Amino acid sequence: MRPASLGIVWRYAAAILAAIISIFPILWIAMIALKTRTDAFAIPPVWFFSPVWEHFQRAWTTSGFSGAFFNSVLVCVIGNLLAFAVGIPAAYMLNKRRVPAKRAILIWLLISYMLPEFLFVIPMYVFYQYVGLYDTVIGLAIVYQIFTLPFTIWLARAFFADVPSSLAEAAQLEGASTSQIIWKIYVPIAAPGLAATAILNSIKMWNELTIALALTFDRAQTVTLAVAGFRGYASIDWGAMSAASIIVILPMALFAILAQRRIVQGLSLGAVK
Amino acid sequence: MDCKKRWLALSNNAFGGWGEPPRPPHRSKMPLMLETTMRRTAFNPYWLLVPALLMLALNTFYPVIYSIYLSFTDWNWGKTSNFVGLTNFINVLTKPQFRGAFFNTLIFSVSAVVVETLLGLGLALVINRLTVGAGIIRTILLMPLMVSGIAVSLVWKVLLDPTQGIINYFLAQIGIAGPAWLGTVPTAMPSIIMIDTWWQTAFTFIILSSALKGLPAEPFEAAQLEGAGAWATFRHITLPMLKPVLITVIIFRTVDTLKIFDIVFGTTGGGPLRATEVVQTLAYQTAFKFHRFGESAALSVVFSLIILLLCLAYLRLDTTEEDAS
Repeated sequence: MRPASLGIVWRYAAAILAAIISIFPILWIAMIALKTRTDAFAIPPVWFFSPVWEHFQRAWTTSGFSGAFFNSVLVCVIGNLLAFAVGIPAAYMLNKRRVPAKRAILIWLLISYMLPEFLFVIPMYVFYQYVGLYDTVIGLAIVYQIFTLPFTIWLARAFFADVPSSLAEAAQLEGASTSQIIWKIYVPIAAPGLAATAILNSIKMWNELTIALALTFDRAQTVTLAVAGFRGYASIDWGAMSAASIIVILPMALFAILAQRRIVQGLSLGAVK
Repeated sequence: MDCKKRWLALSNNAFGGWGEPPRPPHRSKMPLMLETTMRRTAFNPYWLLVPALLMLALNTFYPVIYSIYLSFTDWNWGKTSNFVGLTNFINVLTKPQFRGAFFNTLIFSVSAVVVETLLGLGLALVINRLTVGAGIIRTILLMPLMVSGIAVSLVWKVLLDPTQGIINYFLAQIGIAGPAWLGTVPTAMPSIIMIDTWWQTAFTFIILSSALKGLPAEPFEAAQLEGAGAWATFRHITLPMLKPVLITVIIFRTVDTLKIFDIVFGTTGGGPLRATEVVQTLAYQTAFKFHRFGESAALSVVFSLIILLLCLAYLRLDTTEEDAS
């Protein structure tokens, strides 16, 4: 009995230590964002203080920041719509039907997901300048399909695999088309899993920096770029920079809290299947 | 069965894989079961795959071909672009700046993957046994993974600030003079590795933790009956059963760390003295700062080949795993 309980003690100690290391940096930045300029870097650190909101206000009203925030929201929405419109039928075909060169398509998806950004970003930069998609939200959402689409197809495929084929067969006998079977039978049944997919896609697109850096400039600037703008070398406005970081972290942190199980399920499916 | 296969092959050839092939002509003479399977194949609407494949082609075929083309030219965003043969590739493989970036990327990737995998596995083993509070701890551990790379950079720039940062304050409390972390050559790369570990260990933890939960109980019970110790159980039962997932995790993290950009761009920008310059930050600078698009493309092409080889090695491992089981 004794060694077992000792084991539990050190397990909890390790788990709590890991939790503190994980969350402390974020909390510390949140505190700096809420402190007055003098409190922020006082030594010894000030642990208790009455919060001030001026840094958040300054960060939010910094030119382009709120616009960038909404651009990112829009990119996530359009990126998900595109990935689902195109990826769901493909996932169904790749899971439920005989498709020529199925393995080749799956390998293509994997490679697309793994290509380094600067291989495709420079050609897309040239192409977008030419067709007028440079610095547009829609252009960015299209390029994001390079990782969003494979991920959506993988996950949807895995979720569709759990749906019994008998339902589709019954619908087919009643004359339903394949599109109807996909959107009216498979999608509603796999909805929780697909929601997890949309969340994971959004996290990835919301946090993406490299592609946005190359393919947007001003009008379609995303929130990560707006935050990067606070990263000066000479004079840093620590308060506004911390507040901006918290603004970009917050929506995804909420996802993590509200949909922890789904995110975990989606991530593990993506890697294991 | 044979008939079905032949029909499938026939319809694929005749219709190029697209569209709905017509129903078989001698349909009524067939047994019922065969007929339904055939009807299902005959109903195969390949066109549903077309939008996805077109989207993929736009994002991969065109850019890859264009990048390969660019890598043989000296294009610099001007009007002219000359064919320069292998010059860019020779530069990429011989110039110290490029070799330095490859070397730094390798150091970063290997260290980060080793640390994150071991740490993630350790945490998974520890936390999977907890009964109370495991959910909350899991949610908290998931947090860093939700943070964008650029925010991670800013957070750690503040924490690791040599004079005002809280880390050096803590170190001072226990009598250690903290280094300038991101600011000096010997400490910059380890700092970046540490930041990536904080950021991405949740990924290895979550996946290995789910995989551990999915393992069958019987082998563990048998081991317990035979009186195997904790280490022996881990070494001879857990690890072999975890191997396929472990390989997947390692490959994903390896490719991801090789492609590292955000946290280097956000913290050091490749400095000090190129100590943290990695392939992707160099590709960015070469193209968008110095407008040497050809050279940047050559760098990315060489780099992609390395990643492609890793992908293929992974797929081979993956299939041998499948064959074995």
